[in-house]
Amino acid sequence: MQDTELLREGFNLMLLGMGFVFVFLTLLVIATTLMSLIIQRFFKPAETAATNLPGKSGSAATADGQQANIVAAITAAIQQHRKRR
Amino acid sequence: MEKVLMLWENSGLYNLSVLQLIMIVVCLGLLYLAIAKKFEPLLLLPIGFAGILANVPEAGLALSAMEQAMYHFDANTMQAVANELGVALTATSDAGNKAILLDALKGVDDPAVRAKVSSLISAAGYSDGFLYTFYSLLVATGIAPLMIFLGVGAMTDFGPLLANPRTLFLGAAAQFGIFATVLGAVGLTALGVVDFSLGQAAAIGIIGGADGPTAIYVSSMLAPELLGAIAVAAYAYMALVPIVQPPIMRALTSEKERAIVMTQLRPVSKREKIIFPLAVLGLVALFLPAASPLLGMFCLGNLMRECGVVERLSDTAQNALINIVTIFLGLAVGSRLIADLFLTVETLGIMALGIVAFAIGTASGVIMAKIMNRLSKMPINPLIGAAGVSAVPMAARVANKVGLEANPQNFLLMHAMGPNVAGVIGSAVAAGVMIMYLG
Repeated sequence: MQDTELLREGFNLMLLGMGFVFVFLTLLVIATTLMSLIIQRFFKPAETAATNLPGKSGSAATADGQQANIVAAITAAIQQHRKRR
Repeated sequence: MEKVLMLWENSGLYNLSVLQLIMIVVCLGLLYLAIAKKFEPLLLLPIGFAGILANVPEAGLALSAMEQAMYHFDANTMQAVANELGVALTATSDAGNKAILLDALKGVDDPAVRAKVSSLISAAGYSDGFLYTFYSLLVATGIAPLMIFLGVGAMTDFGPLLANPRTLFLGAAAQFGIFATVLGAVGLTALGVVDFSLGQAAAIGIIGGADGPTAIYVSSMLAPELLGAIAVAAYAYMALVPIVQPPIMRALTSEKERAIVMTQLRPVSKREKIIFPLAVLGLVALFLPAASPLLGMFCLGNLMRECGVVERLSDTAQNALINIVTIFLGLAVGSRLIADLFLTVETLGIMALGIVAFAIGTASGVIMAKIMNRLSKMPINPLIGAAGVSAVPMAARVANKVGLEANPQNFLLMHAMGPNVAGVIGSAVAAGVMIMYLG
């Protein structure tokens, strides 16, 4: 009798737990998507303006650009290497 | 001659029990796994070593003052304690008297009596072993796992997740392993194989979250007596991710699905990365306060990383602090590898259930990814679903590797990082639900 009680409790915990995890992460998906939409819509100009500013953010952007170039070069090299084999 | 005899009777060799010897061999096994096989060496090395220390005979490094007094069972001190508790030591053997005292101690509600008993024991010259102190300060309070979470937060890049928020669902699906294992543990109890309470079953299930600090945090709250076995199982299986996951991933997907190329992730602005931890914190505060210690520290670490104005703090959290806490955490967890706590049928059950939890978590992540691939216009490679069990970044690397086998041009690593960090959030949420339900 007690065993069935324990099993039922375990089952309840599973339903409640999985349900809650899904509800919570669904809410998080919605919140994140909304946040990204809002930021992309309203702050796009501010972002570009910020990257044009001299100093830290500007140098970070160029560093990112350089990194992208380097990554592209490495990827190309790997592909050539693979083709040759 | 008498002195020589006394020296011999106080030696480790004389006092070594068979169980302690077995535990020392087990701990040497952990050291071997850490050093030779590189199984999560950062944790298994201190855990294994502290386990050996905890089993040094007579030293009692992992015992509290009370437990040491019980172990030595000095007749006068124990009589004084018994008087204080109002019980008579009527049994003929020490073991019988010990049981009487332990029963009486459990029933004590009056804090004044408790204080009196502990002062009697410290007056008799017993004090907490240093490993016990580490345990009670850092793990029993939850401090060490929380500080690790701070560091993990500072190391986590939510960029891939923000670029494709739907991967959060994969992190949610993989938590099914946790709850299925809870049911499995309860089922084993119903069958009469082992005897787990619901709290213990929950703590075992969280191994399936593949997240060491979360597992330690939950078991310190719900099942402290199983903490040693659970922590060892969690870290050992995390090291086994590259072996456990690929066969499951291959069995559940076709060659064509594994070769699916995903669209490139959009760049994510700094502003989004700063607001995201705050958004998570807000949702936790609104819906699941029980998860706020874990996710709160996680979000704080991440905010330190992304805001860009506290580089020093972020750097400390990612490196110095997390290393220091890891040493302490390892010592504290190792102190739980005492023979009477570890050498039980339950430990075998935990080891078996832990691997099942991992396998189910991986499978449900992959299946969820398959469903999402069917339903959405954007292609989703089912392999990244397996990264939904946290184990950052190992699970993502495994997804990447299996993907490369099917299509050598297909780099899934960044795509798999999304579900991977979602898995961390998911297992912390699952931990919160369990603590709320059972705490």
